[in-house]
Amino acid sequence: MLRKDLRLELRSGESTLALLALSMLVLVVLVFALDAARVRSVDAAAGALWVAMVFAGMLGANRALLAERDNGAIRGLLLSPLDPATLYAAKLAAAFIFMAVAEVGAVILMVLFFNLDFDGSTVRLAPILILGAIGFSALATLLSAITGRTRGGDMLLPILAVPIFVPALIAGVKASAAALAGAPFATMGDWLKIMIAFDVLFVTAGYLLFEYVIGQD
Amino acid sequence: MNNSAIRNWLGYATLALMVAALFMVFDYVPPEAEQGIAQLIFYFHVPLAWVAFASFGLVAIAGIFYLWLGDQLWDDLGYAAAETGMVFCTLMIVAGSIWAKPIWGTWWTWDSRLTTTFILWLMYGGYLMLRASADDTPQTARFGAVLGIVAVLDVPIVIASVRLWRTIHPAVLVTKQGGHGLEDPRMVTTLLVCLAAFTLLWVWLLMLRFNQLRTHSRMGALAVRIAFATAAADDGK
Amino acid sequence: MEHLGYLFSAYSIIFGAIFLYVVFIWRRQAALDAELRALEAQMAALKEASTAANVPEHSET
Repeated sequence: MLRKDLRLELRSGESTLALLALSMLVLVVLVFALDAARVRSVDAAAGALWVAMVFAGMLGANRALLAERDNGAIRGLLLSPLDPATLYAAKLAAAFIFMAVAEVGAVILMVLFFNLDFDGSTVRLAPILILGAIGFSALATLLSAITGRTRGGDMLLPILAVPIFVPALIAGVKASAAALAGAPFATMGDWLKIMIAFDVLFVTAGYLLFEYVIGQD
Repeated sequence: MNNSAIRNWLGYATLALMVAALFMVFDYVPPEAEQGIAQLIFYFHVPLAWVAFASFGLVAIAGIFYLWLGDQLWDDLGYAAAETGMVFCTLMIVAGSIWAKPIWGTWWTWDSRLTTTFILWLMYGGYLMLRASADDTPQTARFGAVLGIVAVLDVPIVIASVRLWRTIHPAVLVTKQGGHGLEDPRMVTTLLVCLAAFTLLWVWLLMLRFNQLRTHSRMGALAVRIAFATAAADDGK
Repeated sequence: MEHLGYLFSAYSIIFGAIFLYVVFIWRRQAALDAELRALEAQMAALKEASTAANVPEHSET
């Protein structure tokens, strides 16, 4: 049953390309905004990376819900014997995959645009970005079920998601900058703890609260 | 009606306590050594902060009860708490900013307390925008409840991360928590009176608004039944 | 008395905003009361119609 829902989400494959393109363009904007050509800064690079990621994550969440609404798939899923927790898990997985794909693209572009190197520091970004993607996907999946059914929902999602995501954002950027600068994981311990706490909290909250959010009216 | 009598008494008590608080701030408490007269803003800023956070907590608690019991009363309470909380949160930020300018020389700084409050303000704003852009249905109430719960769960993490953010990269200015060195016991008393005054003010405003929303909800339900009855009566003709 | 301007503006803004909020609540109350009167009028009309036409009232569920 999980597979079916996953496939439903992944069927909107065209938007993946658009998503990748958009994260790249966000990075381009930031290159000029932060004048990355002149100064080699891991802080700027990490910041730009996370901006692109959050942007992509937001768009991904919006699109997924839009596609579903157009297909009338939501009603179909509600009638199915699927329990809300499984539904949440499926949507979370799909959102995570989208975001992970966008992240890979963004990292590559970030290294290129911000004059960094493809070395161990880039690889050490992986766990940080994974934690970030889990947290954001958990949050966005829950919230987009709310905003998808509200007038002006597309614009409401960032308004709701960003303040709530701030702690993971702070931690993620700081940890990413540290990783890019070559610091070992031990030094980022506090940031990683915050991200893990965020993820645990919001995946759990999503599981428990999703049923209240998808009920019909 | 019992309720409106309580509300009236609350209003009078609030007024009395507020007058007392003002008196204490402007006539009783000794001035603080370094900061000058603008430091007096502190005596209102701190109670505003306590009330803003308390209201936020109330939104979440009301949300939990609403999801659990389904009674519209809890949603009305949550919405009232969000509104009043937003008012006090905004005032807290404004007061804090006005306090900061003469003391620190800048209207705004990303110190941990201000940043956390700003995030809180954004969350309040999001909640109110959600309620404003959606219709008055039980589903919207559920949305609000979930959002309130999620936001409150986030607050401890926000506080932790922002504090960590600021200690690793200390702000331009030293933390303003130095203001909590209340040497003189009169300062403590004044602060407590102000706290009481604002708590009472909060409860009073909350009850006013809650009562309004409650009445509105009940009238909505009544209007539906009247409409049905009218339609049925018309059919009978 | 330096910084007096700041103190004054802070306190006035605080009380000004609270006052405005109370005004907001007051005006909402007036609108609510008007709605209530309209509903009461509707109920009265219903009562009249049912007693006049001698139609058995629908029992309250």
